[in-house]
Amino acid sequence: MAEPDEDDSGRVVSTWPDPPSFWHAFTPQNIERYKALKEDYVKQQGIDEETVKKTVIRVPDIPPDLINLRPPHEPEDGKWNVFSDPQTLSTETPLSFEDAGVPRLGPGDDLTFSTQDQDSKHLDRGFELKKLAKSLLLNYLEFIGVMYHRPDDAEEKIQDLKTILLNFHHTVNEYRPHQAREQLIQMMQDNLDAKRQETAAIRGVVDRAKRMIEGLGSLEVPSVEEGGEREGEEEMSKEEEERKILERKSELWKELEEEFS
Amino acid sequence: MGDRLTQLQEAMDQLCKQFVATYYWLERHHDLEKFGSNDKIPDLKPDQVKEVESVDPETFKAGQLELARDLITKEQQIEYLISTLPGLDNSERDQMQMIRDLEEEIAAAEQQRLEAVKEKDEVLKKLDSLICMIRRYK
Repeated sequence: MAEPDEDDSGRVVSTWPDPPSFWHAFTPQNIERYKALKEDYVKQQGIDEETVKKTVIRVPDIPPDLINLRPPHEPEDGKWNVFSDPQTLSTETPLSFEDAGVPRLGPGDDLTFSTQDQDSKHLDRGFELKKLAKSLLLNYLEFIGVMYHRPDDAEEKIQDLKTILLNFHHTVNEYRPHQAREQLIQMMQDNLDAKRQETAAIRGVVDRAKRMIEGLGSLEVPSVEEGGEREGEEEMSKEEEERKILERKSELWKELEEEFS
Repeated sequence: MGDRLTQLQEAMDQLCKQFVATYYWLERHHDLEKFGSNDKIPDLKPDQVKEVESVDPETFKAGQLELARDLITKEQQIEYLISTLPGLDNSERDQMQMIRDLEEEIAAAEQQRLEAVKEKDEVLKKLDSLICMIRRYK
């Protein structure tokens, strides 16, 4: 894409190579121009906004000095290199364990958390992990032994240790979804307990308040009703009654205050 | 303190560090041996860096023992962590069932809670009106 540079050799050799020469093309003016071109193109083609957001629009027939601003095609095989590390376009799962070049110890696929495997208990996973941990220790002992006798042969043993370690960590990480579900269950249980407790507390207060009302009501209700009925009959006794009621009430007030203080 | 799995991984990392440290110690402090009667252990010049700092056999043995013990302890710790991993007895299906059950129970509990709140509000209103009445009498 870029024009070959005259002092190309120097660029590649140096420890901190210069950026590729086409960075010169990315001036603010050029970027603006390219943007305008792109908007025109989008309008012209009647591409809706969703598509614009989701896909890379390649504007055809753009002036040669803007050619570098146009994003390149996606690699056809979906792979490219960044800093000599291979990258893939697919954003699915990272490389599977075997693909990463590590041999799988123990029952390989039986351990994965696939949907067919819903019924398997996790006890065997724990057992697997214990086996791996023990093997690790044994292999370390062997490694020390090899170092003692023939240090040159130790390479193989180191590889074994590495394999076991990677397997161990892999199995642990495979366990994570399971642990997450377990934690969810725990949280839901806590939530449930909290709700039940709250309900019980509210009920308790309500019951107390009800008793209080009953205490008040046994005086209040008849007094109001009777007050209506006896109106004009016996003013004196009514006043007396009210006075009595007020006395009781002040007692209840005290009780109430104690309850809610 | 992370979750169990993280603890487990950290313990494993510590074990690895111990491996390296143990190896380094052994490599640094072992004694020099002759393969045959003709071999000679060269005397080092004072300014030369020593390859090994040999310690007397007893100290070496004690060191070996201590390091080995530490490794075993760590190993046991790891195995303990493994055996306490959450939900070892549950399969995924069990877990999903439990989650669904809990979901229902929580919904029911929420219903009850709302009823209780409603009742509380009613009682509160009653109390309010009663208190108003009392005020009128005062």
